[in-house]
Amino acid sequence: MSQLSTRHLLGIKDITEQDINTVFETADNFKEVLNRPIKKVPSLRDITIANIFFENSTRTKLSFELAEKRLSADVVNFSSSTSSVKKGETLIDTVNNILSMKVDMVVMRHSSPGAAHFLSRNIKANIVNAGDGTHEHPTQALLDAFSIREKLGDVAGKKVAIIGDILHSRVALSNIFCLQKLGAEVMVCGPVTLLPKHIASLGVKVEYDVKKALQWCDVANVLRIQLERQQIKYFPSLREYSLYFGINRKMLEQLDKEIVIMHPGPINRGVELNSDVADSEHSIILHQVENGVAVRMAVLYLLAGVR
Amino acid sequence: MAVLFKSLQLIKDDKISAPADYFFDNQSIRLVHGKDSPEADQIDCTGLYASKGWVDLKCFNGEPGLEHKEDLNSLNESLSHSGFVKAVLLPNTLPSVQTKNEVSFIRNKSQNYFSDIVIQASVTLNNQGEDLTEILDLHHHGVNVFGDGLLPISNSDRLMKILQYLQKFDGILFDHSYDPLLAIFGQMHEGNVSTRLGLKGIPSLAEEVAIQKNLEILKYAGGNLHFQTISTAGAVRMIREAKSQGLSVTADVSLYQLLFSENDLVTFDTNMKVDPPFRGEIDRVALIEGLIDGTIDAIVSNHRPQDMDAKHLEFDYASHGMLGLQPFLAGLAKLSVELPWPLLISKVTSGPLKVLREEAKADFWTTMTVFDPQEKWVYDRNTNKSLSQNSPWWENELQGKVKYVINGSKFLQCD
Repeated sequence: MSQLSTRHLLGIKDITEQDINTVFETADNFKEVLNRPIKKVPSLRDITIANIFFENSTRTKLSFELAEKRLSADVVNFSSSTSSVKKGETLIDTVNNILSMKVDMVVMRHSSPGAAHFLSRNIKANIVNAGDGTHEHPTQALLDAFSIREKLGDVAGKKVAIIGDILHSRVALSNIFCLQKLGAEVMVCGPVTLLPKHIASLGVKVEYDVKKALQWCDVANVLRIQLERQQIKYFPSLREYSLYFGINRKMLEQLDKEIVIMHPGPINRGVELNSDVADSEHSIILHQVENGVAVRMAVLYLLAGVR
Repeated sequence: MAVLFKSLQLIKDDKISAPADYFFDNQSIRLVHGKDSPEADQIDCTGLYASKGWVDLKCFNGEPGLEHKEDLNSLNESLSHSGFVKAVLLPNTLPSVQTKNEVSFIRNKSQNYFSDIVIQASVTLNNQGEDLTEILDLHHHGVNVFGDGLLPISNSDRLMKILQYLQKFDGILFDHSYDPLLAIFGQMHEGNVSTRLGLKGIPSLAEEVAIQKNLEILKYAGGNLHFQTISTAGAVRMIREAKSQGLSVTADVSLYQLLFSENDLVTFDTNMKVDPPFRGEIDRVALIEGLIDGTIDAIVSNHRPQDMDAKHLEFDYASHGMLGLQPFLAGLAKLSVELPWPLLISKVTSGPLKVLREEAKADFWTTMTVFDPQEKWVYDRNTNKSLSQNSPWWENELQGKVKYVINGSKFLQCD
């Protein structure tokens, strides 16, 4: 059985390039399973997984649940749109209550950066970080890189531009770490107020002009404006943002090459992406969703192997 | 109690003296020669250092209102067993120390404590930076040090008026200067590490903008301004320049600011979440240089106890601060690799007294802290004097132990 170098998936920066490739190879196998008439394997039978989501989620939660069920795991779900702390119960109490029901693995989404690290220090189960505030979203980065690999053959040597609200994005950080580990070049592009001041110290190129970013890249991973995480004003209006940072078909037609368009969803159509781009032949957005299940199956399977 | 300290090495006047015998006669400490040894209990002090008793300019008291973190009794125990004979308490209690009632309460309760308590009174009501407290009345009740403690006085007009108002009695304003809007929602130092961790950063700019502004106001208004727990290279540079211009300005730094950096936060350890935040190596080196050239007058414990429920949380919900008193000597011992013992000791003796505008008595000692820079001990539940446990060194073996402390006629054996 393949194994990862860690018993938790807390972030991409905590795993190795070898781990990433192991996930990809395992996901290749599970993708094949997902195309069979009977899409289920017994790999995680007798394993109980709790999906604990302290933030709203549609596709990530569905994707994890589907992955767990395809692996024959027993699944329990806990959702709360507000933090448990605000309700007077600490995170550790909430999770301990769930774990006392003999759960083996926890998939958690939480609004606080480092929440998954906190959990991993305090409970015995394997932890999969399904997004912790503005820190990391490792399975999203893995499925993004897996989708690039699938579309372009390899990730190494490719130029990937991450465009949009980098400051509030866990997807951006995990993508930067993952793509760099796999040998890609990474650029970030957006309004200066939505780029972390020290982002260049991560070894990425920084661009403020979206047209120049599109001309530079092989892949544009377009991020959603995270209005829910913006506690203060970062730009004047959505209208101005869409005019100067939104991507439309005309912009792609003006390029002297074909590029791949990605988006982790959900899309603010007409803001960061126009529909004529999101639904075009350039887009692999729905492939990302499909690959998400296979990649998450791989992560859960591999982590269960090192329990 | 009369005690004869045998073979003790004094740290005094920038040097460590040869071993000699010193006699404590229940009032003061004096050198004695072999043949003149008076009758007294003898303590073999081979390998031990001693200095005048230590003074801390910034430590947190939770009484009244936050007694579950630290009350006055536990604070006194922590102070005395850590070698401190005097300490300035932060005013951030509930209610804050802002009327003669709170002053009287603390003074009455602490009158028989081993360590002398210096009361810092809030300079604005509830430390909100707006309406002034009754400064003259507080001074009439013995308060000379004013400030809003953990919070900055960010309103420029208020700062100016406070500096002017304090001049009637040559009072001192303590300020933890930073721009709260530039630091808003900040969790740690803004830099490469905060970017990697996705945590909202507190830029050096937040501190430097405030210090620059406050120095300009000090130039205009006059008065005495003491900057508490500075943390950036820019702050050191500006205060150095202000001192060279003759402004009445002093500064201190947290001991642990000199021992940790932003890199120590990579595991989201909430014990490393402090205010001001641990910054980069460039800042740490600048702070060291500031201590050497006298820009920074004092090293403080910045003792900030937090109960378990305030720290055992997700990082952005956790409260700021770490325990600073009992590990203080161990921290100094770690720092003694970079800075000589006489300099370090001056920053907890003559330095803080200068900030408080108190003359150090040169001819004879009435206070003394005796310590072993080599002795190892375990910082845990059995040795802890605080009500809290929030230290990254908790349950670690530390090197450097305070052995005996003298404050006037009071003698404490710490073992």
